[in-house]
Amino acid sequence: MDSSLVGFVRILRSHDLRVSPAETLDAMAAAEALGFGDRERLRDGLAATLVKSRREEEIFRVLFERYFDHSAGDFAGAGAFGEGEREGDGEESTTEPPPATEAAGDGQGGGASGESGESGDPILNRAATESDTLRELLASPLMQALLGGKRGELSARLRRAGRDAGIDDIRLFTQKGQYARRILTAMGEEQLRGAVIDLERREDPAIDRLRSYRDLLREQVRDYVDAQYLLHAEGHNRQFMDDVLAKTRLSNIEQHYTARVRELVQRMARKLASRHRPRQQPRRRGRLDMARTLRAGIPNDGVLMRTHWRQRRKDRAQVLALCDVSGSVAAYAKFLLIFLYSLQDVLPRMRSFAFSSHLGEVSGLFEEEPLERAVELVNWRYGGATDYGASLRDFARLALNDINRHTSVIILGDARNNRGDPELPIMQSIYQRSKQVIWLNPESRRAWGTGDSEMHRYLSTCHFAAECHNLRQLEKVVDQLLRSVR
Amino acid sequence: MHIPEFSELASVDAIEAGFDRLGYICSEKIATAVFLAARLGKPILVEGPPGVGKTELAKTAATLLALPLVRLQCYEGLDEAKALYEWKYGKQLLYTQVLKEQLGDLLQGARGLAESVARLHDFGDIFYSEDFLEPRPLLTAMRQERGAVLLIDEIDKADHEFESLLLETLSDYQVSIPEIGTIRARSRPLVFLTSNNTRELSDALKRRCLHLYIPFPSRVLEERIVQSRVPEVATALRQQLVAFVHSLRDLDLRKTPAISETIDWARSLVLLHVDELGENTARSTLNILLKFEQDIETAEASLPELLRAGA
Repeated sequence: MDSSLVGFVRILRSHDLRVSPAETLDAMAAAEALGFGDRERLRDGLAATLVKSRREEEIFRVLFERYFDHSAGDFAGAGAFGEGEREGDGEESTTEPPPATEAAGDGQGGGASGESGESGDPILNRAATESDTLRELLASPLMQALLGGKRGELSARLRRAGRDAGIDDIRLFTQKGQYARRILTAMGEEQLRGAVIDLERREDPAIDRLRSYRDLLREQVRDYVDAQYLLHAEGHNRQFMDDVLAKTRLSNIEQHYTARVRELVQRMARKLASRHRPRQQPRRRGRLDMARTLRAGIPNDGVLMRTHWRQRRKDRAQVLALCDVSGSVAAYAKFLLIFLYSLQDVLPRMRSFAFSSHLGEVSGLFEEEPLERAVELVNWRYGGATDYGASLRDFARLALNDINRHTSVIILGDARNNRGDPELPIMQSIYQRSKQVIWLNPESRRAWGTGDSEMHRYLSTCHFAAECHNLRQLEKVVDQLLRSVR
Repeated sequence: MHIPEFSELASVDAIEAGFDRLGYICSEKIATAVFLAARLGKPILVEGPPGVGKTELAKTAATLLALPLVRLQCYEGLDEAKALYEWKYGKQLLYTQVLKEQLGDLLQGARGLAESVARLHDFGDIFYSEDFLEPRPLLTAMRQERGAVLLIDEIDKADHEFESLLLETLSDYQVSIPEIGTIRARSRPLVFLTSNNTRELSDALKRRCLHLYIPFPSRVLEERIVQSRVPEVATALRQQLVAFVHSLRDLDLRKTPAISETIDWARSLVLLHVDELGENTARSTLNILLKFEQDIETAEASLPELLRAGA
């Protein structure tokens, strides 16, 4: 039981649920307290201990069905949960006739008589009188299970062999055949194959019967490996994919993956925001500072004339983000806007601006509209040819007076100004007033200052500038930024 | 620390039945979570939309167990002085003033400064002892002899720091006071935290709790709830009004009507002697279910369809 629960936790983890060892222990205690009689109840109990949000609960439910249904339904008797709870779960295994029995039943129906599984297959029995290998084979537990259509025992062997073969580590589609081979060997298919070869040599008519059993076994193993692949590899492959996407240049990510990236971006913003939540609000009065109060009383002969209070420093960190949405950075802008949108959701004192030929504040839009529509509206309202000069003038008009030593300004753009006036003085005054100015440029450093890029001139008015063309870099830079914001 | 048995919470079915008797109709999922909380000694973090009975769950548990309910309502700026303990500063100041007079008597006969100081040392830290401690909800819950039900309501409204403050209380059922030391719970309390999900809670907090999400109830469950809370409503009307509320929840509203609103509505319909839900009655009582003018307008526009869904 415990090992199968641990296996389940591993699968949960591969599907992005963070489950700690302590929670695993809780889940075991919960399973013990609830018993295994009631599947629904067990599921609710495990969910209570292993799941931390509603989103996770949905994933949990799907995986629970996949993992435990498969072990409970397919592996009667020696299944995932030992013998005891099988009685309670009995309906589970009887409701859906498993393929194993069906197939085995068909095979027997085609035989000479409808005898019970115990006495074996008459055709094979007859052939066995002439072949030693076949006789030995028929006596083996594997063949007994196959002949008798003993689904439970067969599945138990399959499962055991699977565990020995390390099926939990299956990751790639191409590994399926290899694992199936290993499991078949572990189950003793060698002997079966030997017998088939033997019968072939003798041209015994029983060969077809034996072959059908062999194929049945192979089919079972293949199904099992397929199911295990789905369970174990899917989550890992998704993680792998996420990893690749995070390292890919944003402009190179195909349309096909945008949905996935959007999710990634949001998750990243959530993570960053939870790490850099603004500090506690200032208290109205604070706590009495006894030491200071007493000390202040000393000159008055110990009469405490004034009380002193401990107060926390007010935390007024503010972030202003400017995002270039012009044609030249269109491929990036989409993601950056999603990122800003998600970030604004969680950072209370953040204002977002978008610009190309002119600039406007989009904070309100981000607050009121759902993500897709907000991004669309921003692109539609502010998209166009870049004019950094005009945009900076707009920005100065809108927000320059709000910039103080608690403010961080992030500018996302390529600094390609179409040879217009860069309005450096405005940038300088932003630089002087703010705590920090950070410029994130999607172009690589080598391209800065080439052609109509004003990056080198703007560089003098930035505390920090970095190239930022994939999600990994974006996350790193913003993490740094937020740490310094406090 | 004494670990209470909670015989009322001995099994999932017993909890369901016990809550039922107190008029709290709960799904099996809720009962399972409560059972595990009592058995494993872990707090439950209850999430869900407003008005589905998160706070009520804790209250009912307290009634069922006949234990005091200690409630800590969270809000922005809540700090340890309001949640854990505070020193009685007034008393401390008063005593220092009063005792100053005594100082001369106490030090009488002491030879030299060193001896006087030594004598003063003997008094220990009187001003920072339990006598000068003002217990706040968390400490109060720890000090209950027979245990308590501790309800930390709307934890999402409190600040991030406050969550960290809770960690010690939630995992070890103890409170550390620098001047005194660690105060352990006399009896392990049953802890409920509720959250409306206005912000993400920290992983550290979530890890220490069992997670329970209470969604809006199914139609059958909600009918049972109304029946238990407002038994005067006739069966036909009850089915009709619950169905109406359910179709209302499918609309795009600013504030979806919750169970508490369904119950209020049922009560008002009883007061108005309504036997059947007609368009006029529904229109004139919509303001009980919906709290925003624009929601009411939305609902009024599709009133006939909503009523047909209930029929």
